[in-house]
Amino acid sequence: MISAHAITRRYGARTAVDNVSFDVRGGEVFGLLGPNGAGKTSVLRMLAGLIPPSAGTITIGGRSFTRDQAAAIRGRIGFLTETPGLWDNLTVLDNICVYARLFGMPRPALAAELVLRPFDLWDRRGDRAGLLSKGMKQKLALARALVHEPEIVLLDEPTANLDPQTSRMVRDLLLDLRAQGRAVVISTHNLSEVERLADRVALLSCTLIAIGEPAALRRDVFGRRLRVRLASGYPPPKQLAAVAIHAGAHDVRVEKHELSMVLESLEAGTPAIVRRLVDAGAEIREVFEEQPALEEVYLKLLHPKPVPVDPRRGARA
Amino acid sequence: MKADRVAALVGKELREFRASPTAVLPVVILMTISMLLPFIFLYLVPRMTGKSLTSDPSLQQVVTAARAYLPGLASLDAEEATQSFFLQQFLMLFLVAPIVGAVSLAAYSVVGEKQGRTLEPLLATPLSTAELLIAKVLASFLPALVAEAIGVAGFFALVSALGSHAVFQSLLTGRTAVLLGIVGPFGALAALQGTIAVSSRVNDPRSAQQIAIILVLPIVVMLAGQIAGTFFLTVPMLLGVALVMVGVWVLLIMLSVALFERESILTRWK
Repeated sequence: MISAHAITRRYGARTAVDNVSFDVRGGEVFGLLGPNGAGKTSVLRMLAGLIPPSAGTITIGGRSFTRDQAAAIRGRIGFLTETPGLWDNLTVLDNICVYARLFGMPRPALAAELVLRPFDLWDRRGDRAGLLSKGMKQKLALARALVHEPEIVLLDEPTANLDPQTSRMVRDLLLDLRAQGRAVVISTHNLSEVERLADRVALLSCTLIAIGEPAALRRDVFGRRLRVRLASGYPPPKQLAAVAIHAGAHDVRVEKHELSMVLESLEAGTPAIVRRLVDAGAEIREVFEEQPALEEVYLKLLHPKPVPVDPRRGARA
Repeated sequence: MKADRVAALVGKELREFRASPTAVLPVVILMTISMLLPFIFLYLVPRMTGKSLTSDPSLQQVVTAARAYLPGLASLDAEEATQSFFLQQFLMLFLVAPIVGAVSLAAYSVVGEKQGRTLEPLLATPLSTAELLIAKVLASFLPALVAEAIGVAGFFALVSALGSHAVFQSLLTGRTAVLLGIVGPFGALAALQGTIAVSSRVNDPRSAQQIAIILVLPIVVMLAGQIAGTFFLTVPMLLGVALVMVGVWVLLIMLSVALFERESILTRWK
């Protein structure tokens, strides 16, 4: 549904986005990750047709942002900007209704009601937008981006300023949008959110550093590691590490009462290693494949120096 | 160009004015001054000084010369002709007042959207640049037009109450209709379009206002020239001026669309 091919964006002498390519399918949540100034907002603006790429091409549903097509394409896109950008002197309802009319909705008031209710803003429809809290403003901006039921949803920091309950509501909403077959692109610093939502992520730092499913990125960056959590410090973990090495494990690390190791094949090698450790007297509490958080993948890719692995987010092997 | 989208944005602008009525205060104040000023000059000042306007020979020279050009003066006596002459000249204030007042609304228009960070989501809609700019102009123009209509109605009510029937009748001419109905509105549209063009290029409303005020100068020159008797604007001349205003407006629409750089507005505004 969205195709960005070798897009580059320069502002004078500065290159904000350099030769980035990706596709986003309908029914997919695509996460854009990167540090401040990595070019995420520039990418979103290019996808929304607000600024043209300096080089490369963007197509939305197979069509480019030409002079004739731009308005029609923008009509298919819902864009949540970095700042809510609400008209503070207008009511909540007016803020939405104006956009519903600009997008050519046949019944703007009904469209506004349908989008305000899920965000619990319908009861505040008569209030001036300027009187809303930051979180409410963010919800209103999100409602505005969705009022015309766009096929493509571009969200710049969608859960910024939201409390945990509302953040969850927004995440559920995004999952609904995905289930409805819409293409959703989110730019965020909230890595745990991306991890929960995104089918694929792109890590940007002016250029495209990595792209793929979160699990695949983890594997590519950290490999597949087995973690064995011991019940006690006896026999000493260092002694058990030697047993594991003898049984075929390599790159074995000892962390308190835990062993972390790489096996040739996690599926085939795990039972044998467990058996050898138990034979050596180990009391094993848990055995699982390490799942480093996306944050660690992110940090390692952006700063390729050793980063201590936090295995707390684990899945049993 | 989709009228629905323009109407949606005009409606939004008008609701914003309604929500902050002080925004339209300059229009109201200027219109009130335009309405009252001629009567202070024609009726209050002579009473306070004890001197009739007809006693000034140089003024009478101008009025005598104007009788040949301005319809309705020929059949009036000296006192009424002087009053009618001045009232006709002061009608020009109704061209200046809506422009100056509406310019203050328009000057803030695009700059205000930039400052409130409301422009980016707006530009992400199917709204074209021409639609956006025309909506901004119309939204400033309509309150000014309503204020002008109320001001003109008040002006004629005061003429009817304070002046003679002959003076009142002498003002109801094609010249007045062309001046207020054609030159005024198109002049205001041209001035507003210029203001919007400037507003989309500058960083603060004051700059837009100051540059836009320059557009009022030709009208002030017309007013001064007529009162001094240097020249008199007849109906054909006023129609010519109106035609020029229409041309200027159209040119300014094209210019403002060309000057409106979505990209630099979004990327250079922090």
